[in-house]
Amino acid sequence: MESDLKRSSRLLNLLRTTLGTLLALIVVITFFTIADNLQSGGGRFATVKNAQNIIVQSATVGVAALGMTIIVVSGGIDLSAGTGMALCAVILAWCLKADYAPGLAITAGILAGGLIGAVNGLLISILRVVPFIVTLGTMTIFLGLSKVIAENRTIRPAPEQVPEWIPQLLNPRIDTPWMLFPAGVWFLIALSIVVAMLLKFTVLGRHITSMGANQRAAWLCGINLFRTRMIVYTLGGLTVGIAGLFQFARLTSANPTSGTGKELLIIASVIIGGGSLNGGRGSILGTLAGALLMQVISSGCTALKLPNPIQEIIIGTIIVAAVTLDQWRQGRVFARYAKK
Amino acid sequence: MTRYLIAISLIASSLLFGCGSRPETSQSDDQPATQEPVYRIAVIPMATTDVFWTSVHAGAMQAAEELGNVEIYWEGPLTMNDREGQINIVQNYVAQEVDGIVLAPIDRTALVRYVADAQLSGIPVVVIDSALDDESTTVSFVATDNYHGGELGARTLATSMNNEGDAILLRYTVGQESAVQREQGFLDTMAKEFPNINMLSDNQYSGPTEVDAYNKSMDLLNQFGDRVDGIFVICNRTATGVLQALEEEELVEKVKLIGFDRTSHLVKALEDGKLQALVVQDPINIGYLGVKTMVSHLRGEKVEKRIYTGEYVATKENLDDPKINQLLHPQKVD
Repeated sequence: MESDLKRSSRLLNLLRTTLGTLLALIVVITFFTIADNLQSGGGRFATVKNAQNIIVQSATVGVAALGMTIIVVSGGIDLSAGTGMALCAVILAWCLKADYAPGLAITAGILAGGLIGAVNGLLISILRVVPFIVTLGTMTIFLGLSKVIAENRTIRPAPEQVPEWIPQLLNPRIDTPWMLFPAGVWFLIALSIVVAMLLKFTVLGRHITSMGANQRAAWLCGINLFRTRMIVYTLGGLTVGIAGLFQFARLTSANPTSGTGKELLIIASVIIGGGSLNGGRGSILGTLAGALLMQVISSGCTALKLPNPIQEIIIGTIIVAAVTLDQWRQGRVFARYAKK
Repeated sequence: MTRYLIAISLIASSLLFGCGSRPETSQSDDQPATQEPVYRIAVIPMATTDVFWTSVHAGAMQAAEELGNVEIYWEGPLTMNDREGQINIVQNYVAQEVDGIVLAPIDRTALVRYVADAQLSGIPVVVIDSALDDESTTVSFVATDNYHGGELGARTLATSMNNEGDAILLRYTVGQESAVQREQGFLDTMAKEFPNINMLSDNQYSGPTEVDAYNKSMDLLNQFGDRVDGIFVICNRTATGVLQALEEEELVEKVKLIGFDRTSHLVKALEDGKLQALVVQDPINIGYLGVKTMVSHLRGEKVEKRIYTGEYVATKENLDDPKINQLLHPQKVD
């Protein structure tokens, strides 16, 4: 349907987008490494131990950002990802506390994610309300549901109800040094490859991209928008469920409010990674780099002993800068097409 | 792409040169040179903008100033609910190999594992303000004696009621450890020391917000309004709700109210005589003793496993007492 030329230029563009984020990541890491080495008593930023910390710390946002990338590429958005994540963690913790088998509890948590994603997709399709508004609503609904399940409290399964391998999923101190990262991080890497392949090399992936680039054209081409949207949001929800598992693995307790605000970090990862809120564009590698970038800045600010407000300002600035650059780039691309 | 890099490096350099990377050092030049190394201590609060926590910060800085050879790194999570954020900060400071961490854990379960990690990495942790489920890996727990706070509340209420009459304890929410301690301290003292005071109700919970507390106290006043002489509550939000209910029912004159913790609204009410007393904690001392305890431990001195930071009763009569005045009107950190 699309010419080889156009496709290759799109691939090239995608590569450029991702490369930009990766280079930004390298620049920021280099900057903090140098600044940290210059300060007295520094030199602990660029260490394997700290790298393990940073990667583990970005895993929860990272895994949910995979699903968010699919959604953003399809031209949608999911503001309920943060509270949805907490809902999944609450369900998981509730099951453990009620003495269900850990495997069952985790399955319930992740499937709950798929379900809330499907609910989002269904509401967007049936009500014909834009995803921003629908998920703004479900964001609060999921928060309320979590509070109902948790009875307004933190659910704390007893230590013997939580098998040790769950916290080990994201424990940067691993027993087997050759693995470098805990199992959760390897799972995230594997899942990223699967999602990237799905977006780039499958018919479904092409449908998702076309739907995001131009919904009307996609419909005219015979793409089943309803089906595609349902798949997109369900997949997004499943990653939110996995993020819920990741969050529980780090906290070993679940609080209804512990996901509030996380949706912004998740969306920011996608945007910094070159995803376009206009749809049709986004890259898994870029998203992961985006999630890492924010955590590197946060960790780097700690290393330089910069106070909280400075960190917040820097991360905000980078988000705005990334989106601005994205628009310039888009402008250039359009200009080039216009000339032809 | 080049522009991308320029933008990033601009931000980065503004960070380095614009804001400066000065640590909050307390090392003054006129200090005589000591043999002791400079201790780098991370103090990690639950929040950074709340007046309670800025007071803790002030106390920590005061301790650092007195000791001379201490650098304080003050960094908290973005919100009170950001458990992961606080865990990240703990992990980051462990990676930074600070000499010690003074931590006010947001979640008594979630932080246990990371405090144990810090200890394994050779970094001691002093817990302040709120307890941790497992204290086997901490140096000390520095906080208010909530049970004693409850005792003080009971004695103050009894005095204002002339040691007789009917009283109500309105609890906070279910399962809050510090709340349970305050309530128990109050009830035990009432039973032991004031046999002439009858508890009308001691099993009702106000709920977490002012509105919940208002609704609950309206229910209670409906039932006991003509009989009750005194009410004790253990949280500032509950006190605000009860106070509003008393005002609407025109019972402010008759019913003695004792609250716990301060807000500027409650301090005003205390000044106006609408409530009898506030039991107040000493957040400055929590920060101060938190850092002092850590340094004692680092010097190899033996420290107590549990350190109390003081509880006070503020009444209309002692408003001008310098200590009470400072507790009711905490100043922000310079």
